[in-house]
Amino acid sequence: MSQSEPLLRVENLKTQFFTEEGTVRAVDGVSFEVGEGELVGLVGESGAGKSVAAQSIMRLVEEPGRIVDGTVTYKGRTLVDIERGPDGDLRESEAMLSRREMRTDIRGTEIAIIFQDPMESLNPVFTVGGQVREFIELNRDVSGAEAEEIAIDMLREVGIPEPVKRYDEYPHQFSGGMRQRVLIAMALACEPSLIIADEPTTALDVTVEGQILDLVDDLQEKYDTAFVWVTHDMGVVAEICDSVNVMYLGEVIEQADVDDLFHDTKHPYTRALLRSIPRPDRTVESLDPIGGVMPEAINPPSGCRFHTRCPDAREVCREVHPTHAPPEEGADAAGAGNDGARPADAARAAEADGRQPHLVSCVKYESVGYEHSESLEAEATGAFAGGLAEMRGGERDE
Amino acid sequence: MGRAQYTIRRILQAVPVLLGVAAITYFLMEAMPGDPVSIMLGPSPSAAQAEAIRAKYGLNRPVWVRFLNYLIDAVRLDLGQSIYYKVPVTRKIAERLPVTLLLLASSFTFAILTAVPLGIISAKRRNKPTDHVSRVVALLGVSTPSFWIGLMLIIVFAYRLDVLPATNLILPWAPVGSVDGADSRVDVLAAAGRHLLLPTLSLGTLQMAALTRIERSSMLEVLGQEYVKLARAYGVSEFTILRKHAFRNAQLPLITLLGLQLTSAIGGAVLTETVFSINGMGRLIITAINNQDFALVTGTTLVFGFVFVVGVIVTDLSYAYVDPRVTFEEAE
Repeated sequence: MSQSEPLLRVENLKTQFFTEEGTVRAVDGVSFEVGEGELVGLVGESGAGKSVAAQSIMRLVEEPGRIVDGTVTYKGRTLVDIERGPDGDLRESEAMLSRREMRTDIRGTEIAIIFQDPMESLNPVFTVGGQVREFIELNRDVSGAEAEEIAIDMLREVGIPEPVKRYDEYPHQFSGGMRQRVLIAMALACEPSLIIADEPTTALDVTVEGQILDLVDDLQEKYDTAFVWVTHDMGVVAEICDSVNVMYLGEVIEQADVDDLFHDTKHPYTRALLRSIPRPDRTVESLDPIGGVMPEAINPPSGCRFHTRCPDAREVCREVHPTHAPPEEGADAAGAGNDGARPADAARAAEADGRQPHLVSCVKYESVGYEHSESLEAEATGAFAGGLAEMRGGERDE
Repeated sequence: MGRAQYTIRRILQAVPVLLGVAAITYFLMEAMPGDPVSIMLGPSPSAAQAEAIRAKYGLNRPVWVRFLNYLIDAVRLDLGQSIYYKVPVTRKIAERLPVTLLLLASSFTFAILTAVPLGIISAKRRNKPTDHVSRVVALLGVSTPSFWIGLMLIIVFAYRLDVLPATNLILPWAPVGSVDGADSRVDVLAAAGRHLLLPTLSLGTLQMAALTRIERSSMLEVLGQEYVKLARAYGVSEFTILRKHAFRNAQLPLITLLGLQLTSAIGGAVLTETVFSINGMGRLIITAINNQDFALVTGTTLVFGFVFVVGVIVTDLSYAYVDPRVTFEEAE
């Protein structure tokens, strides 16, 4: 897999929403890859741009949203390729698939999507079975009767009891968890090579979420489907993902194999995210939430976008926009658990094994003078919450 | 609960409603000033004459007894004798009701057939020229009184251009021989169609305009739903999304409005029939009121009430047919 072309490659994807308040830079230069059969996580807070990124891949972004830059290639076909014309206008390149091709060749057949809200994603006036069957018929070369059979089998497979009877029932007769299973069955039944799961378990309670994750794990192994798993839940990431992209304000700020991300966390934001979730293996008095709220994507902060909330922020963070690269040797002053290997080498080695190289966007890992920069006075937006966090930290030490 | 059960329940629920309609109509008429006896007998009748009439029509009995008798008779399709026409009220209604129903049916058909496509196109081409035109048309339609439209249609098409008839409505079921120049049923139907055109436009424009607005907004809402997005994500074409995935859901508010519009359409029919001199229920009720024909007023009002209740039941049942959640929620 290492040398061959990945299944999906997203490069410098930018999607913006042109609203009356201004241009929302929802996705701002995101790049990642998904190999065959790989489960890739897209993590971040609400508003980080995960869902928009996921939907941009399938060109499902609706007005007033628009993909303004970047390329998306899938199995060598160009799903998105935006160029700038001579007078600076945006153009879809020649290589880009037509809308019709997207519809007939990609959507459903090659890439399927599972939406966040199981209660709203099924049409209330059609039977559940009819809806699954329709998508199978549309995306696979089978007859109506065969499609019905596949649909029933798949409903059974995702754990819906009495699938023959429930096939003819309506969505309102299903619980939220059951509807989510139906959506998963829908996606799998079309036999795509890639499924984009847009927070599919967020609306469910934890026990059901656990069942669904186990199910996806089993089915993923069985069908070898690749997944892009959009979530805000680090627990889910740890459970199912192979590699992870952490997003903040439209950018991917850390990218790594799931083990590296959890055990060799580089970015202060990722670290803060991990600190803010309860972990059964550690006892803490109180959890450590990230101070403040994510700024608006209309006017993102200068320099590093996280500097307004970052506990490690210094002057330089406000000025220099970090590059997304392997962390540089020795630059990681406050870094945790560096085993001595040169990170850039480690990244190259990882790439050679077909693993996700560890990439991070943080000036701490660049030679731009972080060590000598003044510590940043907490800004107005983050000051209060930051102060609280410090106080809590102080109490805990006592 | 299945649809059959729901249907039966819904029809049974209509019985008390109809009783209520009958009671209100009857007692309102009772409370109205004016004495039917004096109308029947003319000015200054003798006391003995009046007494005899009262005894003959049972008017000397208490009002609740008369009401009960009226109800029992009504079930037997006897709504009393018209004082003005001097024939049974039911015979008069049987003669006039089909005309009004024809007018209502044709104007609703016109309204639905134009409003649904207009609304869908408007929603699909949101904020584009087509949408603006259809919205302005709809707004004008809603705000123009139907009798004015009727008068304008007569002036333009019947008087100035002289292309369509404005009076002497020909009914599609009229005997072939009774229609001038008609040799077959087809000729009669064609003539009836020509005659119906202006009254239909006059009565239907208001419905059409209101329905277009509802169809547009409801279609827009459905097109923004997650399940429409899902269909798109699975490669369903835009046309199929409109025709199948969005259409049925978008008709629910339209059906509700149709039921409600039946009242305004019945009111509109009274005006339209007057403007086009059509002998339907509308003109009948006006004649009845003008002549203080108590039995006829009560009878026609009751029939209008009945038509409305039937309309509401049909609305509810089609709702249940379109949206499976309706019968389900009733069972909860």
